[in-house]
Amino acid sequence: MSVIKNNIYKFLSSLSLTIFLLCFIAFGSIFGTVIKQKADVEEYLSIYSDTTYTIIKYLGLDDVYHSPWFIAAIVLFAINLALCTYGRFARLIKTEGKVALPDESELSDMSMVFHVGSKERENAIASIKKGYQTIYEGEEGVVLQKGVISRYGVYMIHGSILIILMGSLIGMLFGYKGFMTLRKGETKDQLILRGTPPKEVPLGFSLKCKDFQVSFYPGGAPKDYVSKVEVLDNGRVVMERDIRVNSPLSYKGINVYQASYGASTSFLFTIAGERVTLSERETYEKDGLVMMIARFESSIHNFGPGVLVAYLDQGEPKVVWFLKDVERLKEQKIQGVNIKLEDIKENFYTGLEIAKDPGVWVVWTGFALILFGLYANFFIYYRRIYIRNIPDGLIVAGIAFKNREGFKEEFEKLKRKVSGNGS
Amino acid sequence: MNIYFFYISLFFYLLSTACYLLFLTMNRNIIEKFGHYSLFSGFCIHFLATLVRYFNAGYTPITNIYESLSFFSLCIAGFFLYLKRIYRIEIIGCIILPILSVLLIWASTFPTEIRPLPPVLKSYWLPIHTIFSFVGNAIFFISFFISLLYLVVERGIKKKKFPSIATRFPSLETLDLINYRCMSYGFPFLTVGIITGSIWASVAWGSYWSWDPKETWSLVTWIVYAILIHNRLAIGWRGRKTAYMMIIGFFFILITFLGVNFFAGGLHSYI
Repeated sequence: MSVIKNNIYKFLSSLSLTIFLLCFIAFGSIFGTVIKQKADVEEYLSIYSDTTYTIIKYLGLDDVYHSPWFIAAIVLFAINLALCTYGRFARLIKTEGKVALPDESELSDMSMVFHVGSKERENAIASIKKGYQTIYEGEEGVVLQKGVISRYGVYMIHGSILIILMGSLIGMLFGYKGFMTLRKGETKDQLILRGTPPKEVPLGFSLKCKDFQVSFYPGGAPKDYVSKVEVLDNGRVVMERDIRVNSPLSYKGINVYQASYGASTSFLFTIAGERVTLSERETYEKDGLVMMIARFESSIHNFGPGVLVAYLDQGEPKVVWFLKDVERLKEQKIQGVNIKLEDIKENFYTGLEIAKDPGVWVVWTGFALILFGLYANFFIYYRRIYIRNIPDGLIVAGIAFKNREGFKEEFEKLKRKVSGNGS
Repeated sequence: MNIYFFYISLFFYLLSTACYLLFLTMNRNIIEKFGHYSLFSGFCIHFLATLVRYFNAGYTPITNIYESLSFFSLCIAGFFLYLKRIYRIEIIGCIILPILSVLLIWASTFPTEIRPLPPVLKSYWLPIHTIFSFVGNAIFFISFFISLLYLVVERGIKKKKFPSIATRFPSLETLDLINYRCMSYGFPFLTVGIITGSIWASVAWGSYWSWDPKETWSLVTWIVYAILIHNRLAIGWRGRKTAYMMIIGFFFILITFLGVNFFAGGLHSYI
């Protein structure tokens, strides 16, 4: 039984599994960039055949990054990484306590080695020790080391990857991402979560758009869009600020980003002497008159903007164009009711992205740690120097596991310094 | 103004290219020296051109294809000069410099005028993210050619059919050492590039990771190099195997750097 357990542990902590899983995750990720993600059925069927689509759907390739097999691979990877790192770390700690000074023949076999005469012994030890940490000192000699943190770099990197994965899990479980559109003056306390069908959820506070402005460069490209937003909590204004691209608003752990903007058109009619504002696709119904704004065109031939109005004439649908700039077509009768198109207005609305991610600080911590880890692992080098007393002086040997050429140079310098111009 | 500096630097790069090609056929140190100083002058003027463009435009000029290729070339030139100081690899100039020149000529075929910056790029993260990413890419770009050369030299040794030029190439050991150095510098830069991009994305797009094609491919590239590093440090792959991995890794860099922008689109498409 324990053999099986042991084998499972070995397999789960093996580097081969790590490499296999990394390849698997990489391939899966690539699928997600080649096949369109989270699109509609119609869209897939317009690109792929029925059978291909069935396969895509069955394997979850239409939403790779949330499919069970992809998440399972990442979880397995996390387990593998944790076990593998733990195993190596335990071994390091074990060996860290035991520092042994190799004997003379072993030292003289090392690639970096030199001898010091007995006259210079004291001076030599003092000058070699400079910049090094003494980890052993005894009758027979001294062991020195430098850059010990470099040996922990790999654990920092691995640990930080686990922290980042944990942060993203927290985000997946307790966070959300949605959006909200606000017209100038509008207040909303609900956001919309994307999906089929989209879902409205309460935000916990309200946002009021006091102003929204888009500025353009002379060439017509957008320069900046700014929403002046008020945060209302329990009816009280608690915050007021401008939300811009690259400068989100943050309140109660929820971030509000300037994502997009758009224009909606509204149409001002006078219907039987009454002023009515309608937007596209909006239906007006009163006293048996049923009409709907079917379509808006900003320019019809050379006649200027026009609105296509659909209405019911004794149960049958009919349409009529209202043209704003043509006197004759501006005012028409539908079922005996006088209807006049007074104005067409373009209203900008702001598109706000709303996200809550309690795991983000965990991810940031992981990022910070990985930076330290990378620095320790790749830019600090662990070196060890052995100094052993021998009858006619000292034998000095050095070892490095990384950047050997660099250490060789340093060691040569040390040799010249210690032995003066001689030997 | 910056564009004149750009063309002057291109002139020096071309001059250096000519020198190195001449050096390949005529093994004279004076030619190499001339090539080296041309390269150095080209690099300095190119750097100046980038600096001038920065002040003219008011933003870090790494925002479209022309600027990207130009800055990428600058990084390659800089890293090659750095490597030249450590290792005796003058002869590799006859590979790097022609490619550098081609890159810059290719860059100049794209629109070079300074264009207004889209709002999403107005951020302090622009220089941080792009510089780390580009330096990382440039390091792996050079290691790609080092690896190709490794394979060529190794094949030459095995077949014992050695063109006389090949004897002047660095030893396999040196090439492997350079590859190792590229790996241990390139990987941290690549990682920092991804991390800073992720932090920026969280400020600009509302999520530190949204599986955008650029993000996804950069992660895949990161995985490829992570595998390479483990193969080398933990399993002990060296020489030819590292060279093959570096070549594979570079194809992923290429897709992430250019392929995604040209073909896939997504949030990160600024051309």
